[in-house]
Amino acid sequence: MNELVHGALYGTLIATAILSTIAMGIWFERKFAGRMQQRLGPTIVGPAGLLQPFADIIKLLQKEDIVPRDADRGLFDLAPILAVVCSLGVAAVIPFSPSIIASDLDVGVLWVLGIGGLMVIPTFAAGWGSNNKFALLGAMRAIAQSVSYGVPLVLAVLVPVVLSGSLSISGIVAWQAQHHWFAVWPIVPGLPAFVIFFLAMLAESNRIPFDIPEAESELVAGITTEYTGAKFTLFYMAEYVHTLVGSALGAALFFGGWDGPFAPGLHWMVLKTLTLFVLIYWVRWSLLRFRADQLMRLCWTWLTPIGVALLLVSAAWVTFGGTN
Amino acid sequence: MGYFNDTAKALRTTMVNAFREPVTQEFPLVIRPRAERFRASFALPDDEHGEVACIGCLACERICPSRVIKMKSGGKKDSPVTGKKRAYIDEFVLDLSACIGCELCVQVCNSDAIVMVRQPEVPAFAREDLVLDMEKLRANAKLKTASWGTGTRLQEMQEPPKAEKPAVAKASPATETAPAPAPAKETV
Amino acid sequence: MEITVEVQSATRGSVDPHLSIHAYEAEGDLMLLHFGPQHPSTHGVFRMDLHLDGETIVKATPYIGYLHRGVEKLCEKLTYVQQTPIVDKNDYVAPMTNEQALNMAFEKLLNIEVPRRARYLRTIFAELQRVASHLVWLAAQSIDLGGALGGGSTLFLHCLRERELIMDLFEEVSGARFHYNTHTIGGNRHDLPDGWSKRAQAAISQIESRLSEYEDLSLGNQIFVDRMKGVGVLSAALALELGISGPVLRGSGVDHDLRRDAPYHAYDELEVQVAVEQGGDCLARAKVRFREIRESLRLARVAIDGIPEGPICSFKPTRQPTQVKLTGGQAYAALESPRGELGTFVIAGGDTPTSPYRLKIRAPSLHALAAIPYIVPGANVSDAVAILGSLDPIMGEVDR
Repeated sequence: MNELVHGALYGTLIATAILSTIAMGIWFERKFAGRMQQRLGPTIVGPAGLLQPFADIIKLLQKEDIVPRDADRGLFDLAPILAVVCSLGVAAVIPFSPSIIASDLDVGVLWVLGIGGLMVIPTFAAGWGSNNKFALLGAMRAIAQSVSYGVPLVLAVLVPVVLSGSLSISGIVAWQAQHHWFAVWPIVPGLPAFVIFFLAMLAESNRIPFDIPEAESELVAGITTEYTGAKFTLFYMAEYVHTLVGSALGAALFFGGWDGPFAPGLHWMVLKTLTLFVLIYWVRWSLLRFRADQLMRLCWTWLTPIGVALLLVSAAWVTFGGTN
Repeated sequence: MGYFNDTAKALRTTMVNAFREPVTQEFPLVIRPRAERFRASFALPDDEHGEVACIGCLACERICPSRVIKMKSGGKKDSPVTGKKRAYIDEFVLDLSACIGCELCVQVCNSDAIVMVRQPEVPAFAREDLVLDMEKLRANAKLKTASWGTGTRLQEMQEPPKAEKPAVAKASPATETAPAPAPAKETV
Repeated sequence: MEITVEVQSATRGSVDPHLSIHAYEAEGDLMLLHFGPQHPSTHGVFRMDLHLDGETIVKATPYIGYLHRGVEKLCEKLTYVQQTPIVDKNDYVAPMTNEQALNMAFEKLLNIEVPRRARYLRTIFAELQRVASHLVWLAAQSIDLGGALGGGSTLFLHCLRERELIMDLFEEVSGARFHYNTHTIGGNRHDLPDGWSKRAQAAISQIESRLSEYEDLSLGNQIFVDRMKGVGVLSAALALELGISGPVLRGSGVDHDLRRDAPYHAYDELEVQVAVEQGGDCLARAKVRFREIRESLRLARVAIDGIPEGPICSFKPTRQPTQVKLTGGQAYAALESPRGELGTFVIAGGDTPTSPYRLKIRAPSLHALAAIPYIVPGANVSDAVAILGSLDPIMGEVDR
């Protein structure tokens, strides 16, 4: 019972924190992207446009909810909700400090991979349920991409698991706090594994250069072509949640999570997460996107073999007593 | 791999741009300096005696490619200011919603009676709001800055110099009569 | 699946293009995707019917006419001096060249020699307009490849930022930022304002200094090269057969440029280095355009330095619509617009001596689009967007 209360309390807290971070993240992204494009970015709503995300959300919620005549109503309505649930669900096992964690599962990594992998379902539900050819093509691409990039993602996540000998994310963070961050040492499986994790995470959350499922210049808006109003807002939110949670996961698995000197753990975790978050947006507004087949080639001919090799190296590292 | 190198280059370029001064302006709040010849809307200025300069010669109505100018000549009257006889207009209506801003009406006006102004009209909610009648056009002349171009200035700028007249003389008459057949294509 | 290339007529047999959407049947197991006319990256209102096998395009049928405004017919009704502002709207990315092509045809018809200063002015405008147009191409191409919410839009806005400099220069001369109406029969309507040359040189220097940044984000980027290389290969023979000209033709390895081969304006006094690339793919076309930006900036610089004094118009200024009267004769004049050979063929006479009997505009974009049924099949949907972008069609010019 106590655990339930704890989970509900902290779960709500973390979810709220994530959603409000995203609101400000959208403002930051728009301002940052504006500056990179030598624009001003939002300036009108609130001081320095700070209230722009809220204006955006109000605008989106006011829109008429249009459902295509031949849409599969159930799937069409379910998809956006499921998308938010799946992307927020991952956050349940991520420790934001030694104590701030919704549920400290022993098999947290499995939970992350499982729930994260479920994102395929809302994506396909949206693509199929819309009864739109562009959405279908987008869904087709998204599934190929998510399933493929799931493999290097798992391989990259297994490196810290093997190195620390724990399947619990808080366990991995605690191990790093005691010894060293995996992105720093052992440098060979650690840093490349982080790079693979980062790329796979970009692909899983459909970020440029891997955003082909919603490639708006090719597929109009991909899976979200037929979505309007509140449902579109949910998809929009799910994408940001996915990115933010992915950044938090990267910070926890490879950069020691809440570990850091001088300041309380929460500060360090937030700092690391937001750094990765900003990096993702910096990449997003700087690069063009891959083509679907190039994306697949990158996954299967580079990331997956290297991931396997890194896993073997980390196994050897542990076996021959690199850390103890 | 080239990807990482090129990504680093792209990231550097965008970051360099992020620290440059933004080039955009918040348009309705800040108006950029417009060129002296910038042309947007229209005005009917007064002549030196304070009367409307337009004499209703219909030149602008005839030249307008999209036919947005409609005017009604008022005939010749004695001017109440100078006492001399001159022509007036009764009505002058310019439909800005169909205007293509080509400046030909200004170009053909020998009495500099129609000019373009450098401030655009305020966006309107109805088409009728974009129809400029005499009052609006005369008010524009007082409220807005006229653009550089007037009929005489534009014509003077394009006028071939008199000294060179013999050089181009053989070309000019061709305008009134049929020219020599052009050599480019055979007849169809 | 074997891929066959078929030539399709625009109306596709006897099918009425206005039938309900269910009247279109995909062939066999293929999926029929209506790509456009309301699609973010069809460069206006262009439509392709793509027959897809998975994501591979088996057949592509282009449809045009969504932006038809009857410009040629309109020109038969308007008098000669009224037409310049109308044709401005054809190629709405490079309006200067439209005006020039039209007035060149009229001048040929009237046997008018354009003063040397006006020819230099036209050269400068044409070259700056070419830079502006190619910047818009790069902007649109990067949006096609990178999306409107990502790196593509960053490059897009960077390109438009530099294009603004050119538009500011044109605004100073003509008073308009886009539909200038600055050319007239026999020369130009506007002379350069004071200090324009100096400001133009400064703007050119600034654009030149920013070109390396574009390359960092596009041609020098592995992702861009991967997306463009080997995509949409157009052979030189096919390009010539379809009447393609301009950067698309030069990207296929054909050394053809009207500026050098049939000099007009002041090009006989300037030395034009024609950019030719082998390969015929999107990358080759992109390289051609990048080299042309550099070359045009150089030419503009030389022309601004060498601009002579003198009159800007050898014909009497426009005072009334009917001042040009012609009872017969015909002329064809062409220039190298940013998209290729932009020609105007005019037959004078007919019922009214003040307006042409027939006016035909040869639009290079139309010919470029003719390559689509040949080069798009075999590619996938992403490539179709890249190919369309690299052909750089302007629908206003295609449909007129």
